[in-house]
Amino acid sequence: MENIEKQLREEARKLLSEKKVDALVGYEQGTLPYQAAPCIITEPEEADRLVWNPFCSVNLAKYVHDLIFQHRESQTRTKPEDRTKKVVGVIARGCTTRSIVIHLQERQYERNEVVIVGVPCTGYIAKRKLFRALEGAEPLACAVEGDSLKVETAQGSKSILIRDILSDSCLTCRYNNPVISDINVGEPAPPMNPDGEYNDVDAFENLPTDERWAYFTKEMDKCIRCYACRNTCPSCYCKVCFVEQSQPRWVGVSVDESDTQVFQIMRIFHQAGRCVDCGSCVEVCPMGVDLRKFLKKLDKDGFDLFEHRAGESLEDPPPLGAFSTYDKEDFIFEP
Amino acid sequence: METRLIKKELLPGLIKGLAEDTLVYAPVQEEDDVFFRVLEKDMEPLAEFGNAKNAPKNFFFPQAETMMRFMKKERGSELERVPGDFPEAVLFGVRPCDARSFVLLDFVFDDPKYRDPYYMERREKTTIVSLACVHPPYSTCFCTSMGGHPFSSDGADVLLVDMGDDWLAECITDKGEKLLEKLGDLPKADDEVLARKEEMAKQAAAEITTSVPGKEIKPWLDENFDHPFWDSVHVGCLACGTCTYLCPTCHCFDITDEAKDSEGRRIRSWDSCMYWLFTRETSGHNPRPSQKERWRQRFMHKFKYFVDNYDAIACVGCGRCVRYCPVNIDIRKIAQDIAKL
Repeated sequence: MENIEKQLREEARKLLSEKKVDALVGYEQGTLPYQAAPCIITEPEEADRLVWNPFCSVNLAKYVHDLIFQHRESQTRTKPEDRTKKVVGVIARGCTTRSIVIHLQERQYERNEVVIVGVPCTGYIAKRKLFRALEGAEPLACAVEGDSLKVETAQGSKSILIRDILSDSCLTCRYNNPVISDINVGEPAPPMNPDGEYNDVDAFENLPTDERWAYFTKEMDKCIRCYACRNTCPSCYCKVCFVEQSQPRWVGVSVDESDTQVFQIMRIFHQAGRCVDCGSCVEVCPMGVDLRKFLKKLDKDGFDLFEHRAGESLEDPPPLGAFSTYDKEDFIFEP
Repeated sequence: METRLIKKELLPGLIKGLAEDTLVYAPVQEEDDVFFRVLEKDMEPLAEFGNAKNAPKNFFFPQAETMMRFMKKERGSELERVPGDFPEAVLFGVRPCDARSFVLLDFVFDDPKYRDPYYMERREKTTIVSLACVHPPYSTCFCTSMGGHPFSSDGADVLLVDMGDDWLAECITDKGEKLLEKLGDLPKADDEVLARKEEMAKQAAAEITTSVPGKEIKPWLDENFDHPFWDSVHVGCLACGTCTYLCPTCHCFDITDEAKDSEGRRIRSWDSCMYWLFTRETSGHNPRPSQKERWRQRFMHKFKYFVDNYDAIACVGCGRCVRYCPVNIDIRKIAQDIAKL
């Protein structure tokens, strides 16, 4: 891991000093021992700020999209022939590269506007699981030691197997190595365990309707509509989200449970064929809403119906963006 | 000031008893987290916990509330004031930092020029029971830098201190005294206990090691609205509302009408300076066009504008925004970095 970090800094320094990128998105050490914060660097000297460790969690593809679009917006009053491109470098693990594939397939930016520094990934720590493992004690210092995390707390130190506290998305990840990249650092990471990828969804699908509805409403009741899930999601890039539209207003502003449910249902459905299961929405949610259960169901449908896995390759068109006469249609039935 | 002792094991029962005929808000465990909730029959109030994830301001200033209803009639329209029939209530288990937030919110909602009837009715009818932090629960606690103290009784009606076998209850106000009377015959605390409490208070304050500049940076903020420092504060910000929604002192709101057919209601709901819609004007112009201006606003409101208006910093040092920010933007660090400029 330290080796990867060293190489990352080296590559970042090179990209910035050779002016191959205007900005580079990565992670830096946060102010809390269990946080790595997204950062954007523009000078070669800043490369040493970059870190790579199991606390690097949120999907950085969101920042790539944001930076490119902010730059374009800043040029709306520039003559078309005088407009410049902004090239953004990004430290990208498998899921981040899949999100970039989706951006490219959806024509959000050109391939030459992004430089992908691919990193092999062994998963990130779900902070909720870390806190559960510590039984409420606060981590005061954390250090990775082999496959364990050594945590200092006020009650003493504790060693936790990192595997036991990885995000659910990471445990069943199928693409923990970059699917596209311009530069690769490190050796490819060993595969995770995707075989049980849909076990949770299968079990959930087999529950009676009222139990599924009860679970859905219980989870949605936790939501405070802070929109952290939407804002961290690389596939949620609408300039104006439907919840913020006012002519007409689709969703009420109050905390009516149906409004919250409508927001979440709509957001989840908009992820059909577009969710890479990076787990960012779950990781950033301050309330611990189990969004993954519902997103994973759509992911499963995407594969069952169209043999599609979101962002797997640039050549494989997204199911809702392509038409084939062989598309399954047995879900269409006479009422 | 009256002081009483409550046997440790009796407290949860007393609170549950109270909840039988009074509206009680108390911290309860829900899955991984502790939340302030309306205490219902099958819920266990917590007396030993770090702090609740949601701020107790929610009960006086809910995320959304109906201000009035309106109906279209054959001739003209009719307005209906939403009756303020808020019952007497007890808010139990507030940490001293959060209790101080009420003192700050009162400046806004109990302003001599405009008294907010919705907030004030709930505020006046609620008795606040604070729990002193014998051991401040988080490394992100910094109440002492913001004018608070782990044993502060600011904003509280009763302050409870964990003395080991007993809770020491200090009545701060008449409301607090009435509440303790309701709890039955409780023994008085002797001088030895009170002296021990003073010692514990000193120790608790010493356990808070984070120092965050407060009013010291105000002169810099007065002069440096356009300083390049603001270019870096917001980097990484997701523009979500976690910090403002969990903050015990954030109080910005929006007013919206929701109507269907010939009836509707006017709603007041939380707003967040982190949202792009917050200051967007009807024309489409937005005086805070990017997250940079929005972050500057959040910081300035707490450390400059509020100080200008009320001579107090609008932060109580609870550390929620530090702990729960998904991308670790740390308000302590911003203040510390400014102090170094």
